[in-house]
Amino acid sequence: MSATASQSDSSYLLRKLHSLTGVLPVGAFLAEHFWSNSAALVNAPKYDEVSRDLQTIPFRPIVEWAIIFLPMLYHAVYGVYIWLRGKSNISSYPWVGNWLYVAQRYTGLIAFAYIGWHLYTERWLTHGRSTYATVASDLQNPWYLAFFVIGILASSFHLGVGIWNFLCKWGLAATAKAQQAAGRLGIVIGVAFGVAGILIVLSFRLNWHPFASYYIPK
Amino acid sequence: MAETKKVLIKIKRQAGPQEPSRWEEFSLNWRPSMNVIICLRDIAENPVTSSGKKTTPITYDSNCLEEICGSCAMLINDKARMACSALVDHLDQPIRIEPLTKFPLVRDLSVDRQFMFDSLKRVKAWIPIDGSYDLGEGPRVSPQVQAKGYPLSSCITCGNCLEVCPQVNEHNQFVGAAIISQVRLFNIHPTGAMNKRERLEALMGPGGVQECANAQNCVKACPKNIPLTESIAEVNRDAWKQALLGWLLG
Repeated sequence: MSATASQSDSSYLLRKLHSLTGVLPVGAFLAEHFWSNSAALVNAPKYDEVSRDLQTIPFRPIVEWAIIFLPMLYHAVYGVYIWLRGKSNISSYPWVGNWLYVAQRYTGLIAFAYIGWHLYTERWLTHGRSTYATVASDLQNPWYLAFFVIGILASSFHLGVGIWNFLCKWGLAATAKAQQAAGRLGIVIGVAFGVAGILIVLSFRLNWHPFASYYIPK
Repeated sequence: MAETKKVLIKIKRQAGPQEPSRWEEFSLNWRPSMNVIICLRDIAENPVTSSGKKTTPITYDSNCLEEICGSCAMLINDKARMACSALVDHLDQPIRIEPLTKFPLVRDLSVDRQFMFDSLKRVKAWIPIDGSYDLGEGPRVSPQVQAKGYPLSSCITCGNCLEVCPQVNEHNQFVGAAIISQVRLFNIHPTGAMNKRERLEALMGPGGVQECANAQNCVKACPKNIPLTESIAEVNRDAWKQALLGWLLG
């Protein structure tokens, strides 16, 4: 910890970029992804319509790389770098914030591993043409099901804590009271994402479509 | 009179930065209102371990004995705190005493906190009032700013906030919460605000405010109850505004 050790002067920018990409676009994409996939709760034809609409976005590869893959990859790789430069001390100081600090690192890693696998199985192997049927058949495999649930919970937790971190670290929630409120907001978001994600998975697994009556055929 | 109550205390000893460390245990006579500093003084009076071996007095820093000078921070039962306000009756025994781990060791419990003083210089944690002529009176400080600044001004640079911070370690040059809070103190002062930009720029360099990862241990460990997480949030906001708007709007 010497004051003279050299470190890149761009660390401020890179660190802020890490924090920002977690919310925009990565967090926003997660919201979009859950939103689109919730079409499974209506029925299979609705899901396939939504998925076709997404698959036919103009400039699709550019949109995917610029808004989803690259920001996510940056967030993950720089996140691991941040992890390596921290030194957790949870045994001496088992405080809530300190637990979240540690959990944020592990859930980030789990989410990253899950997303990589998820991309491979649901995007690469299907040549970007996933349908209700391909996802539903994957989810009949209990290992797939387990990894989906773990990945969804880890991502939801990471987003909830991340929103709290973001609001504190950008000074948008500065007072102790505002930071508490930001924490509650993070909990609400994390739980909402976790519940929505699990419901979507159950919909595929059990062929359960509670909103089937909403469906209007094209 | 009943047999004298004893206080068991284990201290991590190290003769110098390169020397090996060892633990020594002492059994002291209990007295009312005893704190850890009193224990260290008692050992200095009679430096004999609990097994009867003669040893040397413990090297440690302390001065005011009332949580004002900030010099006696150490690990007491694995927690960073001030030895002067650590009352023996409130501690589990044997009491384990170690030096802070985030600063270079000098000897026994004495560490070198120069990193903090260097950081304070780096961020210009003062208000320049000297000129080649009489600068006259400064602007009035509103009662609101006074009320906000007073708790920040009570920082004693003890280093506990750095000690408990997972982001302060040998891989990282993070200046820590105390320094960021001092930047807030001098930036809210109307005269100090004249150097606000320089302070923020210094805090956007290596080891600056961006290194905070919001574990929020600092605010829990601060013996002066300084709202350190508020300070970090506010300075963070000022910093990105300056980085972004300074570039956009000049």
